[in-house]
Amino acid sequence: MQKARNDHEFQAFIQRVIESPVFVMLMISAISMNAIIVVLWTYPDVRNALFRLFEIAQIIVLASYLLEFFMKVYVNPIGYWKQGYNLLDVFIIIISMFPYSFFVIKGMHYSYLNIINGLQTLCILKLIVYSRAIRTLITSVGQTAKIVASVIILLFLLMFIFAILGFYLFGTSEMGDQDNWGNLAVAFFTLFSLATVDGWTDLQQELDKREFVFSRIFTVTFIVLASFIFLSMLVGVMIIHTEDSIKKFERELKLERHQNRVEEKQVILKRQQEEVSYLMQTQQNVNYKSFSDLVESFKKTLNHTDPIVLDDFGTSLPFISIYLSTLDNQDTTIYKLQELYYEIVHVLNLMLEDMPQKQQSQSFDEVA
Amino acid sequence: MATYHEEGSMHLPRADAIRSRLIDTFSLIEHLQGLSQAVPRHTIRELLDPSHQKKLMLGDQHQLVRLSIKPRHTEQITPARRLLSRLPVRCSQTPPLSLWAGWVLERPIFTYFIIFLIFLNTIVLMVEIELQESTNQKLLPLKLTLEVAAWFILLIFLLEILLMWISNFFLFWTNAWNVFDFVVTMLSLFPEVVVLVGVNGQSVWLQLLRICRVLRSLKLFARFRQIRVIILALVRALKTMTPLFMLLLMFFYIFGVAGVYFFESYTRSNRQDLMFHMYFLDIPNSLVTVFILFTLDHWYALLQDVWKVPEVSRTFSSIYVVLWLLLGSILFRNIMVALMVTNFQSIRTELNEEMTYLEVQHKADIFKRQIIQRRQYQSRDALRSSQSKNDTSEPSNLEKESVDLEPEGDEIKQNITKHTSMVSSKEKESFHFSEFSYYSSDSKDFENIDMLDWETHVHQNLPGLMEMDREERVVWPRDSLFRYFELLEKLQYNLEERKQLQEFAVRALMNFEDK
Repeated sequence: MQKARNDHEFQAFIQRVIESPVFVMLMISAISMNAIIVVLWTYPDVRNALFRLFEIAQIIVLASYLLEFFMKVYVNPIGYWKQGYNLLDVFIIIISMFPYSFFVIKGMHYSYLNIINGLQTLCILKLIVYSRAIRTLITSVGQTAKIVASVIILLFLLMFIFAILGFYLFGTSEMGDQDNWGNLAVAFFTLFSLATVDGWTDLQQELDKREFVFSRIFTVTFIVLASFIFLSMLVGVMIIHTEDSIKKFERELKLERHQNRVEEKQVILKRQQEEVSYLMQTQQNVNYKSFSDLVESFKKTLNHTDPIVLDDFGTSLPFISIYLSTLDNQDTTIYKLQELYYEIVHVLNLMLEDMPQKQQSQSFDEVA
Repeated sequence: MATYHEEGSMHLPRADAIRSRLIDTFSLIEHLQGLSQAVPRHTIRELLDPSHQKKLMLGDQHQLVRLSIKPRHTEQITPARRLLSRLPVRCSQTPPLSLWAGWVLERPIFTYFIIFLIFLNTIVLMVEIELQESTNQKLLPLKLTLEVAAWFILLIFLLEILLMWISNFFLFWTNAWNVFDFVVTMLSLFPEVVVLVGVNGQSVWLQLLRICRVLRSLKLFARFRQIRVIILALVRALKTMTPLFMLLLMFFYIFGVAGVYFFESYTRSNRQDLMFHMYFLDIPNSLVTVFILFTLDHWYALLQDVWKVPEVSRTFSSIYVVLWLLLGSILFRNIMVALMVTNFQSIRTELNEEMTYLEVQHKADIFKRQIIQRRQYQSRDALRSSQSKNDTSEPSNLEKESVDLEPEGDEIKQNITKHTSMVSSKEKESFHFSEFSYYSSDSKDFENIDMLDWETHVHQNLPGLMEMDREERVVWPRDSLFRYFELLEKLQYNLEERKQLQEFAVRALMNFEDK
């Protein structure tokens, strides 16, 4: 599907550069430098002292990200966008360009500046690409994402129901607990707090102060449903799926290794065959017609009384017994089959004799 | 390569494998190239067997030895054995000190003594701590004895470490348990040495170091096998979880540093009633706060506190907290549990591997015996039935060709059986086949029932049989071995031909039926 590129040599060269360890080291050091700068930026005195240095370093880091991006896109323009980690790279580049662009657009003190700066920390996620272990972990865990998402959506639905219930029970009237159940958003937060069983006793105390009738039942029911049942269900589902995906992954690895070994065996076998045929072709004295002629003279040197002691499986007695027994079984099946065929032929023959003469002669020609 | 396949245009991988085995066994390539190497006559086992060795040395010493490389489950080769087989050790008059040290360390009396001492140390320490506060004069001799006992035990531990060093210095450091022992002993030795030297004994550090004496009890962990197994399993489970921990650290970093940035206005606000004011002050505080959120402790209170400051945008802060809760405490915690469970299961199966290996061997043994019995039964049966030959005549051409193949197969079987009757293996089997013809119909049913089981049976037990530690070797006469390989190869081709002929027959029948 990929048309041949005119510059495929250069493309191969760039590909090799991308995969070379030197380049990888460079990228890792750039990412680490970025991470350290983001950390040091939080200390105001350090920031004021080395302001210029930090700016220059950030520009260098952004430049290296862009370089990597362009190189990878050059090597594989269409296929680049299909890999997840490359999309992560693009996302991080866009985030890294935010501070400068906002600075240009809005001036020095944009109100959301701290958030933009905080997002710079995401750059460290680029390190995941270079670590094989984390990547396998993410793939194996990522397969459980669908199930996890559905469980969380279920939890959300449950919270929704209880939020509305709680709002109407506790949050509407003037006597009600407006802070915690006043509007839907706050009710959600309260319920989330109950689900993670953190500080729920305080919330319950507030409800008790206003002397609501159903508050205890409500709270206890929700805690049992959300925290005990749902969150435990989440754990159970994740355990099972993680096990499955890890086992599948290991099986694939084993299969790959097995295939490699089989391929290596084939290579050795082929080499042997080539050597033998080469020998046969280069024999000048006699024209050997086949392999058996070739080794005829060798065979004559073999003495019957000369023993060889072998202990590999192919020449051992259990193997011979098994093989012969299997061959015997094969023979019996084939004989039975042949008897069956013969019966069929016989029956069809009989049928033919009852049919008119013209067709009979035709079919006789077929059988003969 | 055109001259290679002389058996028509069939290309059977199995036949190729057999031929390559032949070439290997007889090292034909070297021979044909003119290097004319003799076929190795002896195996490694003969060399190592002392009785055989003598015979070999007396005889022709220029014979070749066949090295067979097979994965075997060898027992553990201890360093002591390795040391014994070294030349300087064998030629010297007196055994080296390290051998004696190793021997002492392995004596059960010695290990029990050390365990007893560890227990004694714990008791002595407990009593000493109780008595430290009291100033009862009558207890003074008791205190003295306790102190002396503690010193004595420490000296014995030091001696044990010295013994281990004498035995094998470098191996000492490779074993993690020994390093742990060493560290603990040094830690508890340090305050005593310092006191001896004369430093003032009232500083807090010294008191702390004295407490390290208690750590000596931890040496117990290394001694008992069950505890070792549990700790090993735990360490292995943790090792497989390192990528998870690395990922978690990355997320800690992200949320920690981002927290400092996001909550800057919260930290800078001048309100006096903020409980969690210092929580996002700088990086260390922020990391601790992130950890607190990870353990789901007072997160709602923190969030409500942050909401009190108007400059902080509510949406961003709630997104931050809720996202971190979902990702960190709910998702990551459960992933950790799931990974732990999976790892423990796999570790348990690995520890059971020894058991399963023995089981498989046992089954393979039974299987082998079954084959032998079956063979003998069949031989007796065939002798009986060879008298009452099956006389279904074979008029069709197809049958005739298959009959032609049969004598070939018969010949192979006869040759093999004739030659194997001469082998001198450990099992005395006598294959008395004279003729080998079709089975009579009464044994047909027996074959039928057994056949299904036979194949699955063979498939199940074959790997175990192949890996069995075979003590028996088969002595082949050379030309029979050559003929065996040749015939086996030809058999493969013949079988293939027979299969094709059967297919022809089926096709012919189908064409016939269509009319």
